[in-house]
Amino acid sequence: MSSSKRFAAETQLNLSPFFERTSKLNESQEWRRWSGYLSATNYELTHENEYFAIRTKAALLDITPLYKYIVEGPDAQAFLDRLVTRNINICKVGQVMYTPWCDEDGKQIDDGTVQRLTQDRFRITSAEPNLEWINHNAAGMDVTISDDSKSTASLALQGPTSRDILNACAQDSLDTLKFFWMMDTQFSDIPVSISRTGYTGDLGYEIWMKPDDALAVWDLLLEKGKPFGITPTGLHALDMARIEAGLILLDVDYISARHAIIESRKSSPFELGLGWAVKLKKKDFIGKKALEAEKSRKPEWKFVGLEIEWDPFEKLHRKAGLPPGLPCTAWRTSTPIYNGKKQVGYATSGTWSPILKRYIALAHVKSEYAKENTQLHFELKVEHFRKLSPARVVKTPFFDPERKRSCPV
Amino acid sequence: MPGIKQYDAIIIGGGHNGLTAAAYLGRAGKKVLVLERRHVLGGAAVTEEIFPGFKFTVCSYVVSLMKPNVMRELMLPQFGLELLPLESTLTPLDGDYLIRTADSDETYREIARHSRKDAEAYMRFGPAMGQIGMSVRPILETIAPNAIRPSLSDLSALKKLLNHFQSLSSEQFEYLTKLMTMSSADFLDEWFEFEPLKATMSASGIIGTFMGPKSPGSAYVMLHHYMGDIDGAFRAWGFQRGGTGAVSMAIARSAEHFGADIMTEKAVSNVIVKNGRAVGVALENGDEFSADIVISGLDPKQTFLNMVDENDLPADFVDDIKNFRIRGSSGKVNLALDGLPNFTCLPGEGHHLRGAISISPSYDHLEQAYDDAKYGHFSQKPFMDIILPSILDPEMAPPGKHVMSCFVQYAPYDIKGGWDDTKREAFGDAVVNTLARYVPNIKDIILHRQVVTPADMETTFGLTEGNIFHGELSLQQLFSFRPAVRWADYTTPIKNYFQCGSGTHPGGGITGSPGEMAAKKILGIWK
Amino acid sequence: MSRTDIIVIGGGLNSLVAAALLGQSGKKVTLLEARGHIAGLSSTEEFAPGFTCNVINDVVKWIDPRVIQKLNLVSRGLKLDSPEAVKIALDIDGKHITFYTDTEKTAHSISTHNENDGKKWHRFSEYITKQTRFLEKLYDLTPPKVPNIGFGDALDMSGLITPLWKYGTRGLTDLMRTAPMMMPELMDEWFESELLRASISTAGIHHLSFGPFAAGTGYNLLHQHVHSNGVIHNTVYIKGGTGELAKAVKSAAESYHVDVKTNAKVSSIIIEDGGCTGVQLESGETIAGNRIVSGLDPHNTFMKLVGPTHINPRFLTQLKNIKYRGSIARIHFALNGLPNIKGIQKDQFDSVFSIAPSVEYLERASDSVKYGRLPENPYVEFTISSILNPEFAPEGKHVLSATVQYAPYSLRNGSWNDELKHQLKNNVVKVLESYIPAFSSLIESASVLTPVDLENQFGLTEGNLNHGEMTLDQFFFMRPTISTAQYKTPIKGLFLCGPGTHPGGGLHGANGFNAVRGILKK
Repeated sequence: MSSSKRFAAETQLNLSPFFERTSKLNESQEWRRWSGYLSATNYELTHENEYFAIRTKAALLDITPLYKYIVEGPDAQAFLDRLVTRNINICKVGQVMYTPWCDEDGKQIDDGTVQRLTQDRFRITSAEPNLEWINHNAAGMDVTISDDSKSTASLALQGPTSRDILNACAQDSLDTLKFFWMMDTQFSDIPVSISRTGYTGDLGYEIWMKPDDALAVWDLLLEKGKPFGITPTGLHALDMARIEAGLILLDVDYISARHAIIESRKSSPFELGLGWAVKLKKKDFIGKKALEAEKSRKPEWKFVGLEIEWDPFEKLHRKAGLPPGLPCTAWRTSTPIYNGKKQVGYATSGTWSPILKRYIALAHVKSEYAKENTQLHFELKVEHFRKLSPARVVKTPFFDPERKRSCPV
Repeated sequence: MPGIKQYDAIIIGGGHNGLTAAAYLGRAGKKVLVLERRHVLGGAAVTEEIFPGFKFTVCSYVVSLMKPNVMRELMLPQFGLELLPLESTLTPLDGDYLIRTADSDETYREIARHSRKDAEAYMRFGPAMGQIGMSVRPILETIAPNAIRPSLSDLSALKKLLNHFQSLSSEQFEYLTKLMTMSSADFLDEWFEFEPLKATMSASGIIGTFMGPKSPGSAYVMLHHYMGDIDGAFRAWGFQRGGTGAVSMAIARSAEHFGADIMTEKAVSNVIVKNGRAVGVALENGDEFSADIVISGLDPKQTFLNMVDENDLPADFVDDIKNFRIRGSSGKVNLALDGLPNFTCLPGEGHHLRGAISISPSYDHLEQAYDDAKYGHFSQKPFMDIILPSILDPEMAPPGKHVMSCFVQYAPYDIKGGWDDTKREAFGDAVVNTLARYVPNIKDIILHRQVVTPADMETTFGLTEGNIFHGELSLQQLFSFRPAVRWADYTTPIKNYFQCGSGTHPGGGITGSPGEMAAKKILGIWK
Repeated sequence: MSRTDIIVIGGGLNSLVAAALLGQSGKKVTLLEARGHIAGLSSTEEFAPGFTCNVINDVVKWIDPRVIQKLNLVSRGLKLDSPEAVKIALDIDGKHITFYTDTEKTAHSISTHNENDGKKWHRFSEYITKQTRFLEKLYDLTPPKVPNIGFGDALDMSGLITPLWKYGTRGLTDLMRTAPMMMPELMDEWFESELLRASISTAGIHHLSFGPFAAGTGYNLLHQHVHSNGVIHNTVYIKGGTGELAKAVKSAAESYHVDVKTNAKVSSIIIEDGGCTGVQLESGETIAGNRIVSGLDPHNTFMKLVGPTHINPRFLTQLKNIKYRGSIARIHFALNGLPNIKGIQKDQFDSVFSIAPSVEYLERASDSVKYGRLPENPYVEFTISSILNPEFAPEGKHVLSATVQYAPYSLRNGSWNDELKHQLKNNVVKVLESYIPAFSSLIESASVLTPVDLENQFGLTEGNLNHGEMTLDQFFFMRPTISTAQYKTPIKGLFLCGPGTHPGGGLHGANGFNAVRGILKK
């Protein structure tokens, strides 16, 4: 490789092994940077069809930009159990666990999935690079940690027909694969791993493969998936779906404790709605003491779902002589939340849910305002003027179809 | 003319701090006269057309530390301040390179190419240093208290600082303590592993000082260089359109706008002191000017050992000033080029030429350069901080030609046998030879070469020992100790005689800060 | 399994002091030493048949007077002695500078070299003494938890008022000015004689990996002169060898019913739920006790005995960042006769001799650390310990013990081996020979201890005798880390008392004394 080539414009961003296909399919030529990769925001000129693919057909997303690490060795289980807040000791081979991890002050660093590939071998995924943190905490442990980000390519196939498509491609049936489990199989002669996971809150799978096999897998999926409505899908549609599913996004809904430059920007899992994933009964893990203390004094913040109530919302717009102004994509600008005149929180992302026909948002609010059905106010601008629109605390996920976790047999 | 009061204040030296003080005093309605010995203003911040068509930033070459409020309050953009960002830092290596650019993804990937750990650490390092930079701002913006006999206002300033430090986290305080005491190499070793990255970053800990990256104390200098901010972005370096001289010109125009008189080619021979008070200045040509107060923008040695009679000063103060460490350690080589330099590691044109180029492939390279200087020689293979001003501002050179500014370390002032023409040229050769290792075509494209040694800086710019910071930025020469304990608040033992150069708190660099703070102090006590 | 109130790990001076003081306060204390005998770095051992040496230290710079007094060490047989000539800076032409306990005599000796310098000597000694008076008070303190200094900390600091009253703010500002300085800067302010400048610089670089051109050597110079009452290069001999100091403290400890166990190497500290509950010995035995005081260095205490899996990430970073970098070697020579040092009278043979002709000589020697190689011309300090301790060598024979700086712990090309040790010894012999004619013909045998040997034999991380470099970034509230400077650690019940804590290295016992205050407070 000549050195000048390495610093040429086209190599300054990462390109996924699927780029050869995605770049040709991307009619809108709209891209977003995701972990230094070029990632399609939407393939068609609008993202609507892609959104509905997630909820009614099958959406195919290139999720290669996820950071992935392999942790292996005799202490791999003990190490991961100390690293993350969930109980890895009960994670069986073939099982996947979604978990946050924290610094010693109990502030969340990142969240992702831990896949148990074999007894002593795990894959952990994350939104931001975490190699330094993982290595640092592995001191004294008999484990090897390797960066798998580029050595494994991955696709998400999400939507009601996703199982049918995979059954058409794979040598083994997916019918018995349970939610948050994974299996190894083959697409003709290509070895792939399939996990029943995703970021949409729908029936869906993630497919893990060697980068060299990426194009063949893509082509096969598109071919076999055609009758089932497979649709290459970008980040706009995904963002809407994940909000409906009530799933948090690093750097949007919270800031990693490793990167927050002030204390108040850090959040604990309790403050991010992930209290269920903090297993305080575990022997010891990073942040345990702080989280115990936080739990006993009650967290200061909670992360909740909000529904912006339709009638007052419509009325505010009507007053200005306008139809209700709905966002056409998911937004991620911090928006003040009030209780009366007092600001009690801020929403970090929100969207109009076309499937639910509700205007929903995810918000940080002070704990005392986090109870279901608490009446709050959401700040919005109607024709350049700030208004407060009534909003109600509701349970997440906003959208939670039974098919997400059920099996046909 | 003696006896007739013409000015409220006379400022000795038309360097950027003297001009800044003049502008602030003028702004407050004072009638100010600035006297500059040379034919150009700006002191060490000058641009000169040494060879026809080629403009050299003879001495200082980049701007980052200029205080935003000075720029605003003196309306400098209106008077010609135009800072162009330096986009990247390139470290050429044998067969490879390291480049850091303004894009964080690109920088992450580039560093990760060498070390993944470092790429992640780098993303945390910048913000952490930014926070530390912010946390020391209050010190920089405080007039250094009298540590011997603190006044009430000194005590309240100290209390404020104490409160501020108590508000820091233990981690920030830890970093700060380390930065104040460690070597830049030791500090960086705690974060990074890829040596060219560490060496290049550590280089900002040696610029302008007589230390190597492994010398304790160099971490502070690194922090000093991190405190710069342009448009709110920390550690953003800029090049002034027209060269650093244009910064001085902008301040001069601002000062004139506020009513200051600025005279060049007026060399002050001494300050006239009567009954322990400064009453004016005498020029070398015999002229005299009188004023209520006299302010020196010169370095402490000039200010106290040349401009006034030692007998007018307390003996222990004279000792302190004599003990003030000013050790010139850097030289400058300015090249007029027939074309662009062609780097082996990144041939041809490209955006790597729009930024800084650092010849700092390893700690050993820097330390060996320092070893040469430590034992009384110029570096055979020096460290260099290079920019190509003509890429950023085409008016710096004739069309198609270029100027290259090489800041070089080390060139000790106290070289064995002293500096002479032969040594100067040998030093210039060492620079070009070192450069040729990474830029093979350099010798073919050099049209003219200007070599500036610390001895030249002393004779031309009046910088004692050629020190660009008017005194080492070592811990014992900062804050209440700069330039001497008890006299760090811009006052001097002589009534109505003040100081405002880089030899005062908060120190060197094109900051405008000593000038601004001195003016504010003076206005505060002016009856 | 046995049980005790407090377990003290390590049988070095500070551990013994801590154990004795804890015993004195009525606690049931067990002290565990890995080696066959106590004393750690103050050990006296036989290095060749019939030849004994002070393994590490021939002399002591200062001993914390609080320790001597509180443990009645004098009545327990501790005998301190200062030679009249505390140090002799050797000159190649025999024009030595002799430092005496009597400042007047030192000034006179200097005057023969440089009259100006001689005249300034009194003022210089006072200048240094004044600053050490402030340090002495600081050394008595438990460092405050910064940056949130409480009222109690401020009250503790009130000890500083006495010297402040005496020397004024100028005394304090002089300290603030001198501590961060580098040796040539300080020397430029005072002296011209190169030999004198170099000799004082040797105190600045004492046991550091840095050379005299390093900022902060000013502090190390002051550290060497705490409690020295104005005697530059102050030297204290302990009658019978430095090991006697530890023995005296041990007898104090035993009088307070401290159970001193040797050959009891701790293999791990048992941690349960973030607190310590006892120790496991290499023999398999466990001893229960929920207060543990470790006199080992932080690396050994935490990375080895506690284990990284019990250490929180931030503290782990801090531990990894402690700088040890041992840089001295000890060479003991068994000699078949009394060496003849050029220009030295026999009655001065009980002094400490240093070979450092110039500041540049020292700096060049220090460059070897930077590049990880052996110094061609090392800085050598030596004593003929058999003069003061005739029992160290057979009749008519002698022991010359040299401290060699710099011997880097990490070498670029490979690691320490017999060949390199031999080479280092040869370099030292060459240096010695220019001052001691025919020195090599006297050598019967020699024993070389490199930093790696020190690490292996004494468990000193990277062979650093001070359990961490004595630099400003590892001083006071930063020693050993910002989170553990109060002798307390993040592991509940585990305390530190070794030289890795404030006020740092040296055979003075102040660390142990200060640590106990914190342990008893709880």
